[in-house]
Formats: sequence, C-alpha cells, structure tokens
Amino acid sequence: MIEFCNVKKVYPGGNVALHDVNLKIEKGEFCFVLGHSGAGKSTFLKLILREEAATEGKIQVGDYDLSKIKNRDIPFLRRQLGVVFQDFRLIPTMTAYDNVAFAMRATNVQEREIRRRVPYVLGLVGLSEKARRYPPELSGGEQQRVALARALVNSPPIIIADEPTGNIDPELSVEIMELLTAINKVGVTVVVVTHEHELAARFHKRTILIEKGQVVADQPDGVPVVTPSEVEVMR
Amino acid sequence: MSLSGIRYLSRQGLHNLVQNRLMTLASVGVLTACLVITGVAALLSANVSNFVDYLGAQNRVVVYVELDADDATAQAVGDEIGKLSNITEYGYTSKEEALEQTKGWISEYDNGAYASVLDGYEGENNPLYASYSVTVDDLNQIAKTTQELEAISGVDFVDSPSELASTLVGIKTTVNLAGWGLVAVLAVVAVVVIVNTIRLTVFARRKEINIMKFVGATNGFIRLPFWVEGTAIGAISAVLAFGIISAIYIWLLGQVSVSGISWLQSIYFQILPYRAVWKWLLGGFAAAGILLGGVGSSLSIRRYLKV
Repeated sequence: MIEFCNVKKVYPGGNVALHDVNLKIEKGEFCFVLGHSGAGKSTFLKLILREEAATEGKIQVGDYDLSKIKNRDIPFLRRQLGVVFQDFRLIPTMTAYDNVAFAMRATNVQEREIRRRVPYVLGLVGLSEKARRYPPELSGGEQQRVALARALVNSPPIIIADEPTGNIDPELSVEIMELLTAINKVGVTVVVVTHEHELAARFHKRTILIEKGQVVADQPDGVPVVTPSEVEVMR
Repeated sequence: MSLSGIRYLSRQGLHNLVQNRLMTLASVGVLTACLVITGVAALLSANVSNFVDYLGAQNRVVVYVELDADDATAQAVGDEIGKLSNITEYGYTSKEEALEQTKGWISEYDNGAYASVLDGYEGENNPLYASYSVTVDDLNQIAKTTQELEAISGVDFVDSPSELASTLVGIKTTVNLAGWGLVAVLAVVAVVVIVNTIRLTVFARRKEINIMKFVGATNGFIRLPFWVEGTAIGAISAVLAFGIISAIYIWLLGQVSVSGISWLQSIYFQILPYRAVWKWLLGGFAAAGILLGGVGSSLSIRRYLKV
C-alpha cells in the first residue's frame, strides 16, 4: 500500500531531511510513525502526500509511483488518502456538516450522495447531534472528530493522522485513537505520525521509529526500541 | 466536472463577490474607468480613421487617355481600369465633355470676359484629354495602383495625389497606434486591479484552498469560484462602461447636430452613427471585461495552487 525504497530527501540549502529510508506498510495495517521534532516525520508525510518530491529513491502509494506521477494525477493520489491534521484544519465559517461535505464537493460528488453520506459519517464519529455547530462552538476532541469524519467521508483506503492527539486532552486522545482502531478494523490502512511515545506504546501496534532522517527501529508488536534521544523526549 | 459541481462553485464565486463587496466595488470602479477610457480611445481612433478615409475618397486619381486615342481605345482603357483590384469607382470624361466643362469655368470667370476664348477648339482641334476619374480603395496602395494605371495601354499620364495620400495614411497610422497603445496600457492596469482584488479573496481563503488540495480537489475545481468572481467583476464593469460610453456618444452626436458651428455641422455626417458602433462597443467591452477578469483571477490564484 505504501512503500519507500532507498528514499532520500534533501531540501534546497542542503538540509538532508530523510535518507536511506526503506519501509513497507501493507494494506489494512495500523502503524505508528514515531519520532521527535525534527526527526523527519513531517517530511515523511509530505512525501506520501506528494507535497514534496523525493530527491532519490522510489515511493509507491497505492497504484501511484510518486517518482513518476504527473501533476494532473496528484489530486487523484490524494483522494486515496484521508488526512487528519494536528490543528484540525477546519473552516471556521462552515458548520461541521459543511466541513465534511466540503471534502465531497471538492472531489465532485453529487449533492444527493453528499446528503446521504455526510450524516452517516458524522454518526460514525458520534457527532450527529452537533452537525449544525461551527468549529469554534466545538471542543478540541469534537473538532478532531469532525476532521476525522472529513478524512473518512470519501472512503479512502488509507488514513494518515498527523499528531491527531496533539491538541486535545489525554482522555479524548484515547477516544480518537479508538476511533482510528475501529476504522482500521474495517480494512482501512491507518498511519499515525506522532511524537507521543506513550500513546504508541499503549496500543501495541507496529511502530516505526525515525531519527535524524533514518528509520532506526521497526517493531511489529508495538514495543518500540527506546533510543537515548527518545528517552530525552520522554523526560 | 458535474453540473451540480459547476453550480455549487459558481454560487461560491458570486457569494464571494457579495461578501467582499467593498473590494468588488473598488475593482468594478477602476475597471469601468479603464474600459471607458479604452472605449473613448477606440471610438476616437475609429472616427479619425473614418474621417481620413472620407478625405482620401475625395482625392481622386485622374487617368489621362492619349490625346489622339479613338473612342474604342478610351473604352479599352476604362475596361482595364475596371479590372484593377484597388479601385472602388471610376467615371469617364470625354474630350468633348472636358472642353464643355472648361468653357463653363472660363465663362464664369471675370463676368464672361473670356467666354469665347475656346471657340474653334471643337472636334479635331480639341486640345484636352479624355480622362478617367478614379477613386482608390486603400490609400496605402496608391503608388502601386498609379503604376498599374500608367502601365495600361492608351494611357498618356496619371495625376495622383500620392503626397496627400501618404500624409493621410500617416495620420491614420499614428492615431491607430496611439489608440492601441492606450488600450494595451489600460489592459495591463485592469489586470493588475483584478489580480489585487482576487488576491485578497484568495489570501482570505488560503486555508480553504489548502484543505481542498489535501482532499484531492483538482486545480480547475479550486480555480472556478475565483474565475467566476473575476469574470463577474469584468462583466459588471463592461455593462457599466457600455452604458456610460453610449450615453456620452449619443449626447455628443446630438450636440454636434444642433450646434450652430459650421465646421462641426460639416463633419457631422462623417461621425460614425451610434447604430454602427454599439454592437462593437458592447462586444468589445464584454470580451475585454470577461477576458481581463478571467486572466486576473487565474494569475492571482496560481501561487496558492503549488501545494
């Protein structure tokens, strides 16, 4: 589903953000990508979303070889990916319903289908009652659930969550993670990018540890290798 | 893109237009002013061109048939003139008619004191040439046409106002160049105005554009509401500019027709009537407004699409 082969990313100015990255995330898998700030997690995400192109190596996401993808195909690649951001990225002037519907409208879905699908997805994340509320009227956890509903509404085969619990209370973090686990159980590939070591440890899922632009550990059972710098992060 | 998608995006564009009404008003104002000035330049240029053409048409080329040519030769010269491409009309004056005309002018001079001076020059003694008075279509081509006329068998010489023609052509070219130059400068100003207006909208909605990119919206989908906004500003400005220019032109025509100034009255019939220009004005304004609006909006959103 997602495969990196000898990937290297050097930004203009010579900053090597990632190098020698080799990994494969299978269809239906749930995995954490763990690393502290500046380790290369954001670049990893940007490469998957094709916000940035790899300097070397090959990246395959679904049917798309990102080293050869044409600009006009990038929107269609992104339709395969539901993305949840740490800062939610909701439009404050739109209701929860419209924020979710927006993702369908942007991909040219018929209004009839939107009216059918959006209430269903808002129900899945437990926000049926708050569909007409605006983001500032919702709590952090609720806003993240709206963002999750938006990521899910087009039924993408892959969900990518970038620090999904970064801006919400610890108890709500568990709630969001449980929702992601439930989504994974119906066959959706879930990749959670986070710096929260404890969160990753709690769910016993595959954990890929990135440090200084390299994959330094890849544990299938969810017990990541703790490196000296990870200990620093935990302190 | 589906019809419902286009409807939704068009509504979004028009919604933005109302939501940013102050900027919309400012853009419509500046764009209308640009279009009005462009319209004035275009109308001035068209009228000067028309007037110069009229003056050009008053200056005829005279083709003199050889003095001893018979009627058949004179007729053949006429047939050859008719075959040339740059001729709009031509008229024949025979030797006899030329003599009668000259006698007429002379008899009017000094109370008829010289009325009889040409008596006895009729028939074989007639010293005047039969001639063709020729109106050329394109004054630019007058030198070439003169050469062609001189080359016709039976033609003695050609009297061509080529110096005047080159002056008129010069005036027309200068007016046209100045007019088009002004149009080009104003078009750039208009694009800058539209770009800045739409850029403000784009900036206010950059978060929305960013989200659209991440959920897989195509660039065309993201552009459409901004394009609708830009073209709507262009279309509104075009209609306003058309109304203003029409009112001014009709008023000016009315003023010229009732003015007591003789030279103004004399050029009245050479001013293009409103019925001849309104379609061009409306079409030109609509095309320019929509094109400038569309180009302006496309330019302003470009950098935000590179995500």
